[in-house]
Formats: sequence, structure tokens, C-alpha cells
Amino acid sequence: MKRIFVIFTTISLVFTACEKEEEIIEGCTDTGSVNYNSNATNDNGSCKYNLSINFTHTIDGNPLEINQMIYTNTASQNYSIQTLRYLLSDITLHSANGTSTLLDEVHFITISDPSTFNLDIQDLNSANYIAISFTMGLDSLKNITNNYLNESFFPSFSWPDFMGGGYHYMQLEGDYTTAFQGYATHTGGTDGIDFSFTKNFPISLNIANANTTVTINMEINNWYSNPNIINLTTDGIMDNANKQALLQANGIADVFSVFYPIN
Amino acid sequence: MKKQALLLLFSALFFACKKDLAPMAPMSGCTDNTAVNYSANAITDDGSCIFFSTTPFIIEIPSGFPDMNITTNNPMTVEGVALGNKLFHDKILSGNGMQACASCHFQSAAFSDTNQFSTGIDGFIGDRNASTIINAGWNNSNFWDGRASSLEEQAFEPVVNPVEMNDTWLNVEMKLNADIEYPTLFKNAFNIDYIDSNHVVMAIAQFERTLISANSKFDKYLRGETQLTASELGGYAIFNSEKGDCFHCHGTQMFMDNLFHNNGLDPEPFTDLGLGKITNNASDNAKFKTPTLRNIEFSSPYMHDGRFSTLEEVVEHYNSGGEYSLTVDPLMKKLGVGLQLTNQEKQDLVAFLKTLTDSDFITEK
Repeated sequence: MKRIFVIFTTISLVFTACEKEEEIIEGCTDTGSVNYNSNATNDNGSCKYNLSINFTHTIDGNPLEINQMIYTNTASQNYSIQTLRYLLSDITLHSANGTSTLLDEVHFITISDPSTFNLDIQDLNSANYIAISFTMGLDSLKNITNNYLNESFFPSFSWPDFMGGGYHYMQLEGDYTTAFQGYATHTGGTDGIDFSFTKNFPISLNIANANTTVTINMEINNWYSNPNIINLTTDGIMDNANKQALLQANGIADVFSVFYPIN
Repeated sequence: MKKQALLLLFSALFFACKKDLAPMAPMSGCTDNTAVNYSANAITDDGSCIFFSTTPFIIEIPSGFPDMNITTNNPMTVEGVALGNKLFHDKILSGNGMQACASCHFQSAAFSDTNQFSTGIDGFIGDRNASTIINAGWNNSNFWDGRASSLEEQAFEPVVNPVEMNDTWLNVEMKLNADIEYPTLFKNAFNIDYIDSNHVVMAIAQFERTLISANSKFDKYLRGETQLTASELGGYAIFNSEKGDCFHCHGTQMFMDNLFHNNGLDPEPFTDLGLGKITNNASDNAKFKTPTLRNIEFSSPYMHDGRFSTLEEVVEHYNSGGEYSLTVDPLMKKLGVGLQLTNQEKQDLVAFLKTLTDSDFITEK
């Protein structure tokens, strides 16, 4: 009887041990994810990743200093910057398998509020991306009067219906030549013409690391230099489709650049 | 004498007995401690509980306006708005009982007054023009220098400002708690037994959020209910062109941008630093909050210091280009040159501004 009991116990123990070894725990097995599960034995594709997008502004490669008459454009005009506000829309990451992830439909950036320089994205489903794209301004489907009543850029960014309606894409303002002359480089859809443009930057991004930051930089002087040399004037440009087209071409050329950590 | 002593003894016994006996009798009443008539002594609930309830005040958001910024702990109620209306017009809030909020913010002047500077209860004169209260529920900040972020925060100040109502909140609280009507009204609006300053400003803010103007001739024109004259339409076009360039600060159906600007009124040195005094940032000096242009016909005089008494003078200021200073707005970009409007264009602009008059707002109860 005693012997039988011992055998039974041994079998039970072996049985339990075996069961434990074979148990499969589903979860995220990537140590770089935000929801890494150290007990998980099988990756079930649930890994989530965080990413920060940082918006920076330079002139001739140096960080922007506001209210200083220290800049010179290609037309040899001295100028300062007092105001810079702009909208980037459809900020999107692209994966190798062809899927894309919309990070923000519309993001408003103003140099008077540094909290707008950052966009924190949480719980992305993939660690690897091959491109990032965004639109400067709002395309014609979005750029409609009263479309964004509850966004922080309303009401200051509105664009009168008399000149096509919708919103400014950018308000870049300051003084030029002397402190007595102001300029206002205001871009937007003029008279029903869509001057927004989309930039797509190929990247080789792996965000399986805490605190990964991708930087989108605006090189402000390039709005005025390439391929079109643009003079600052006191004249308004909101109803000037020709000037909007020149600024759009310069914007497409080399105003924006993207920086990302290389693993 | 002996009789009296006996009576006293009897009375004492009677009271003593009554006191001793009372808890032994099963008390019935409201036993729910969330009810307004909760009785701590009650053992059995007799179904008499009355619960605090208010009637939500629904704000209709006009076309072209965003959702209103309503402080989350101060939801709009019919009871709160009515109480705020009473407080706003009651001289009980001032030190000598001679002034109400409405004394310097009266309806026929678009909830402002007609003086350059307002006179407080002790005859002192303020140094800024009394602000209008029009669609203030959409303000991101209040006062010309934006120092109060909410309407509640704003309402704390005039009551105790020595050049305005010159009272103390302690005194106001005492007066309101001793009043025959207010304790019940505050109980009904906020379910409080003691009136404090927080609930006074909450009620006033609720009332101010109902002061909505969106039924001017211009609104009716946008809704297709009326036509504008040729002159008004001409002014509308100038207003919304870069020639007049009014819309950058006074755009949308709100006719304000919720931002601060130096519109070139004075050269340096500034006598009033405006926003700069609040932020301690020299680049904010002489910047003031953009006022809405709605009902501008009734809110003269104009500017933070009430320096212009007519709309014609205001238009002429922008037409002349204003004064240069370090913080002048880039949108005043034709300094020394000005807008160069013709006399007809100036008249048209004023005609358009007068289409923003909402006579319902000025007269409606």
C-alpha cells in the first residue's frame, strides 16, 4: 500500500512538471516594447511601441532666435521673425508591408507655445517603418471654413471666404530691412486653389527602444530661396496665387527635412 | 414663592424626562445621507427623502462658434444662471451697497459702460476701459491683460478692488448668508448650506456664459434672412481683404482671435504694459486682448484705455498706420503708410461694423 502511494505521488509530480514545461504563455516578447511580458513564451503580435515626433525650426542650420534682426535671405534682405505658426496634416508612418499608420490628422505648431513642438504617439503596433509623410497645410478636402472649430488654431488661423475660405497653412511674420517694415508670409489655399503639398521621407526606422524621437525640421530661409528667390514686401500675399505657387515650389524643394536615430 | 420653586422643579424634571425619553422612541424620517433632508436621528425611512436636483441650462452654440469653455466643476443650471443674474445686478456685493457688477457693465452698453474709465464706490477712477461681456464664454482669458483664465477667476477681482466695489469677500459672505433670499437660492443652485465666495463667482460666471450675441444684421445676412446695403457689403469686403486686414485679429463669426496684440497705439516708453506686466516678458509689452467687434456700436469708447470715442476715430487710427514700437504687431505692417483707405472706404467699414449690432442682445431680458 505504501509502495503504491509512493508510485502514485511520483507519477503525479512528473505529470505536473511536464505540464508546466509545455505551458505556452502568450504575450509580447520584444524587450524594446512598452508592454514586454517577461513571462511570455510565445509572441502573439501584441507588442506596442511609443514614438515622439519633434518639430524644430532653423535658419541657415542654426536654431531659430525670435525678434532678432539677424537673418538675411537670398534676396539680400535682412529680416527678423516674430511669429511662426503652421499646420502639418496627415502625419503618417509607412510600413514595409504597405500599411500606413496615421499619427495625427492635423497638428498646429506655434513658436509661442513650445508644447506644440512635440507629438507623443503611444501604442504603435509595429517597430519598423520605411517612410514618414506629412502634408504642409490642409488639402482641399480638409481646408473648409468652420471645419476645425474646436482646434486651438481657431479662430486665429481662419482664412476669409472672400479669398477662398478655410485656414492659413502658415503665418510667418516679422520685420525686414528696418524695424519699421513688417512682412507677413501667409500661405494657404487661395481662391479655391489647393497649395498644400505632401512630403514623403524614406527612413529606416526601428522604434523598439524607449524614447525614440523623429525630428521634422523646417529650414525657414529656404521658403525664400530655392528654386524661387522671393522678396519680402509689405504687400499682402493671401490673394496672390502666383506668389503662393512660388512659395509652394520652394516648400516642396528643401524646406523640410527629417532626422531619425539609426540603430 | 414656594409655588414658583415647585413649578421650576417640575419644569426641570419634565425637560429632563423629555430629553431622556426622546431617543427611545423610534424616529422616522429620511435615512439617505445623500438627500437634502437627511435626518441623522431617523431610524426608519418614511419615504420623505428629497434629493438635490437642478435643471440643466442648455446653451445653444451659434453657427460658426466652437464649443464653449465651461469650467468642469461648474455645469450650467437654470438655478445657477438665475442666481448669477441676481448677483450680477445686486449692490450687495459692494462695500457701501451702492454698486453692482451691472453698474459698470450694463446691458444697453453691451455690458460695459459709456465712460472712458469707470468710477468705483469711493470715487476712485480705474485706469482701463470697462470690458464688454459679449460671448465671454468663449474667452480663453479675461481682462485686457488676460490675467484671469476663467470667468470664475475674473469675478473674484472687482468685488475687492479698491477702485471698484471695494468690499472684502468675508464681508460679502456674511451679508449673503444673513440675507433672507440668498441662502435658499444657493441651496437650490449648489446644495450648499453656507455661502462662500467660490459659489458666488460660479453663479456669476454661469450668468455671463448666457450673454450670447449672434443675431445681428450680419448674422441674419449670413443666414440669408436679410440683405446688406452696398456700403455695408463694401465694408465687409475691405474688412476681409489684406487691404483693410481687420480679419486677422477680428476674424470668424466670433470677431476676435483670443490672442493679444500691440496695435500701434503708442510709442515707447509705454504707460501701460498690458500682457507684459502679467508675463514679465518684455516682448509682450503693450499687448492687449483682442475684443470682439460684436455690438461695437454700443461699447464706446474704444481701446483698453478708452481713448477713442467714435468708430470713425478707430478706423482712422488703423488707416494712419499707428506708432512704431518694439512690440508692435507685424500685421500693423504699414507703419507710417497706413491702409490708405478712401473716405468712402472708411465710411463703408464703419457701416459694416454697425451690422454687428444685435439689438436683441442689448434689450432682451
